[in-house]
Amino acid sequence: MRKRLPGFLLAAPAWAWLAVFFVAPVGMVVWFSFGYKPSIFATQATDRLSFDRYAEVFSPTFFATFQNTLWVGVVGTVLCFLIGLPVAYWMAVKAPPSRRGLLVALVMVPFWTNFLVRTLGWQVILSPDGWLSTALQGIGFEPLAILNTRGAVLLGVVYNYLPLMILPLFVAFDRVNGPLREASKDLGAGKWTTFFRITLPLAQPGIIAGVLLVFIPLMGDYITATVLGGAKGNMVGQLVASQFQTAQNWALGSAMAVVLIIVILATVAVGAAIVWLVTLPIRASHRLVIGAPATAPASASIHEEVAA
Amino acid sequence: MTTATTTEAEAATTSSPGAEAPGTVVIDAVTKHYGDSTAVDRLSLTIEAGEFISLLGPSGCGKTTTLRMIAGFEEPDDGDIRVSGRSVLGVPPYRRDVNTVFQAYALFPHMSVAENVAYGLQQKRTPKAEIHDRVVDALDLAQMRRFADRKPTQLSGGQQQRVALARALVNRPSVLLLDEPLGALDRQLREEMQLELKLLQSRLGVTFVFVTHDQGEALSMSDRIAIMRSGRIEQLADADTVYARPASAYVAAFVGQQNFFSGTVVEGGTAVDSTHALVRGTSAGLPAGGTGLAAVRPEFVSIEADVAADASGAANTARGSLIGVSHLGETMQYLVRLGDDQSLIARRPSPEAPQLSVGDAVVCSWRAESVLLFPADDAASASGYVAPPTV
Amino acid sequence: MSSEEIRILAPAGAAKTIRRELSRRRFLSFAAAASSAGLLAACAPTGSPTTARASGGPLESKLSIYTWGDYDAPDVLDAFTADLGPKISLSAFNSNEEMVAKLVGARGTSGYDIVVPTGTFVAQMAEHGLLAKLNHDLIPNLKHVDPTFLGRAWDPDNEYSICKAWGTTGFVYDVTAIDRELKDWNDFIDAAQNEASGRTSLLDDPSEITGIYFWANGIPWTTTDPDDLDAAEAFLVNELAPHISAFDSYPGGSAIPQATQMLMQSYNGDARLGILESPEPERWKYVLGSPATEIWMDNWAIAAGAPNPEAAHAFIDYVLSPENALAELDYIGYDTGAKGIEQVASDAGLPMLDLVFFTPEQVATMHEGELTEAQERVVQIWNATKAAAGA
Repeated sequence: MRKRLPGFLLAAPAWAWLAVFFVAPVGMVVWFSFGYKPSIFATQATDRLSFDRYAEVFSPTFFATFQNTLWVGVVGTVLCFLIGLPVAYWMAVKAPPSRRGLLVALVMVPFWTNFLVRTLGWQVILSPDGWLSTALQGIGFEPLAILNTRGAVLLGVVYNYLPLMILPLFVAFDRVNGPLREASKDLGAGKWTTFFRITLPLAQPGIIAGVLLVFIPLMGDYITATVLGGAKGNMVGQLVASQFQTAQNWALGSAMAVVLIIVILATVAVGAAIVWLVTLPIRASHRLVIGAPATAPASASIHEEVAA
Repeated sequence: MTTATTTEAEAATTSSPGAEAPGTVVIDAVTKHYGDSTAVDRLSLTIEAGEFISLLGPSGCGKTTTLRMIAGFEEPDDGDIRVSGRSVLGVPPYRRDVNTVFQAYALFPHMSVAENVAYGLQQKRTPKAEIHDRVVDALDLAQMRRFADRKPTQLSGGQQQRVALARALVNRPSVLLLDEPLGALDRQLREEMQLELKLLQSRLGVTFVFVTHDQGEALSMSDRIAIMRSGRIEQLADADTVYARPASAYVAAFVGQQNFFSGTVVEGGTAVDSTHALVRGTSAGLPAGGTGLAAVRPEFVSIEADVAADASGAANTARGSLIGVSHLGETMQYLVRLGDDQSLIARRPSPEAPQLSVGDAVVCSWRAESVLLFPADDAASASGYVAPPTV
Repeated sequence: MSSEEIRILAPAGAAKTIRRELSRRRFLSFAAAASSAGLLAACAPTGSPTTARASGGPLESKLSIYTWGDYDAPDVLDAFTADLGPKISLSAFNSNEEMVAKLVGARGTSGYDIVVPTGTFVAQMAEHGLLAKLNHDLIPNLKHVDPTFLGRAWDPDNEYSICKAWGTTGFVYDVTAIDRELKDWNDFIDAAQNEASGRTSLLDDPSEITGIYFWANGIPWTTTDPDDLDAAEAFLVNELAPHISAFDSYPGGSAIPQATQMLMQSYNGDARLGILESPEPERWKYVLGSPATEIWMDNWAIAAGAPNPEAAHAFIDYVLSPENALAELDYIGYDTGAKGIEQVASDAGLPMLDLVFFTPEQVATMHEGELTEAQERVVQIWNATKAAAGA
């Protein structure tokens, strides 16, 4: 027998990576957030710790920005999910298998372009004098007035983040292979029942991955929102950036960053709880526990019949 | 779609229900194409209620496509399929009175064993208490009650197979379709399950349509075997007939093992004159002067040391040198080289097997009654049936 | 990233915008100075790095320039290498603090020869030994620089810096949408609250935003009086923010050509480029902020420890020559401060020079920014204004 490495040793590089590139920086941010900005010539000091920065974060000014960010984050993620789900399902299940590689490549196409360039492209398209607006006016519409509104922000968000939703969903649906869906239909379940009881539950890891991949970066993104939403695209990410870059108040910036992390975690937890609660009665109705047989199985067994 | 439904209804009416008992499956001149290739070619087959029928053939012969058309996962391009006297054309799988045991079981990994079995009953809005009882019964039947609350991933292959069976049978279908269900099991378990399946089928009286490429499986369980080739049925008969009186060289080769001799048809169509032996049968039937195939099963070939050294061979005799001896348990198998291009297998029951060593000159012989004669069949040879090993 | 590379990736319209987004005026904020000063205090070198003082010896073969993105005419750079030999390598920074942080971190070994700090940074950079003294003997073309732009408060004798370019702040409005003449910051505010409500943008910079209130109300925009700051916040958050649709430091990039807004606070050079690129230039009118507004000035300086001081001096002298000054002005769209360049530019037929050059009376109304302890408060007001506009 070959001696096997203990599991934790194999995981050591991963833990080291996590510690150096995640735990340490986040720890520093948390540490800074309890400090203060001692003078206009320094960014932060931690010789005196307090929750004062957090009190500042919860001022009405920042609260409004947090609200706006959360709105964009949640609505954007929900939109991406509602659009990405049927697209990914179609790609994985309905599209001819020979075309799937091409479809995945097409989904990735926007990523071949710089993030800022893509977003600015939309700014050009949506402007009141842009070709889209001109075309719409040509057929009798008002000039386009979507730029610098929340509608434009959502459009940009869906455009920039949709691939991050589609790809994990596609992989998940692709893995729920044909025989399982066929088995479901064979057992009397129609298309929708099959989708909700077999495909969707088995795609759960992909759904979770997609939602987190969209929601978390979206909460920190301010480029999309600012470029397309103008003043209406005010995001926490920009507040944090302004504290670090412009105000040079690392303590307050850190506190904002920590609150943002907490808001993200809390939102994810609340979302998970809502899904759990909503599906609870459905899952309960499908649940079936038999328990161990009280006595030996009845004489129905084939073996015993053979013996007899 | 409305018109289609009407046509189906009419078809169902015209197919005179009542004439076909519940559990009967009638496949009527069904054709199925995939692109340019024809998977099933005007196939007709009537499966009696309560029958255990096997669709046997190599991969690509159309047996799985046929099964999937009965299940409803594929629609025929032409022809009709009736289950229990009612046409199922255009009827989705979930409305057909058939259930399937899938090749890789296709158990739902996120449900417990009991929930897997209950799934079909839940779709039919069966009352909860009844579901519970029927699931317990089905699990008892499959001897899987102990594992009711486990997840499929915690089970062995054989256990998963039993769950798949219980999951299908709990719905009390009139027809059960089995798509190579034993393929993933090891040999001992497979043989055990063959026996169980057969017993189960005869006890429940459900029609079993069993797809396999394993002739042993088909022979041991089936009431009838349909040997398929290129989308058609080559022979439909019970196990004995298929084994003893194969309708073609293809069937002869696919069921059991054969020693083939190819050569010119002589003696009024009763013998084939091959390079290494004159093989004579008991009946005429082959056009004289053409090429023909003679086949002899290894178990009908006797073997002994060649003491006569008499090169002038009598009919149904072949001389060669022994190049291999192997124990198959109850029988001994001998591999004899007749010439550069042909060898011969002989099999004798172990108690009466002669003591021979590799390198010995041997003479093999067989009775004319055990010889089967077929017209030359290039297609059969090309389709890869079991041919005598050439060493 | 060069502007050419960007152009390959983006539609022509967007490329221009991006180039601008990455370019010079993006991060003009005095706040950062505070931090740089902090960095300086913390990391100031213990001894001034030894600077090889240029004495007019032979030029080195290389020259490294650390400047704002897309802030030099490529033709002038190429011509310098062709005429005098040293090969130029360009590096770009986005903000003064980024540049200062790099110089402090390198402690005189950054390898950069020429740096381009904004005026407000020069004094502190010099004080902390980050800049080398200039040898005026090697820069005879200094005589071509207009004395108005020499001897500023932060470097009275131009020991460390010479004006590279300067600019100011005003606003642009759409004369087809606003049919009255806007003349000063009060008109700007009034239009923003009325006909241009929801179609007005402000510069995305703390001091520029508070500046509007201070300039309009005759308060020095460098005030540290808490009452003034409170009043500015109340006005901006409650009175102005609800009418603002964007915070855009470069309306000339896309907002003017695409007519996204009606009224835009903007820098003079950016507004000029935007109007020049607009399909309907006559639609836009630029108004210099009044009764008061800002002036900013970027400067040529030599980094302490510069490896190629002779080439650095030669380069500064080269770009100050009248013909090169004109080429620079034509490319960047801001006045380089060269004597008589207005006439030269006018003779050369450059368009819209009223957005580049200003009368001495106008220049007298422009005030330089200053680093004060109110900076944090100003940033807070900026954040509050943006939050209010986004609500």
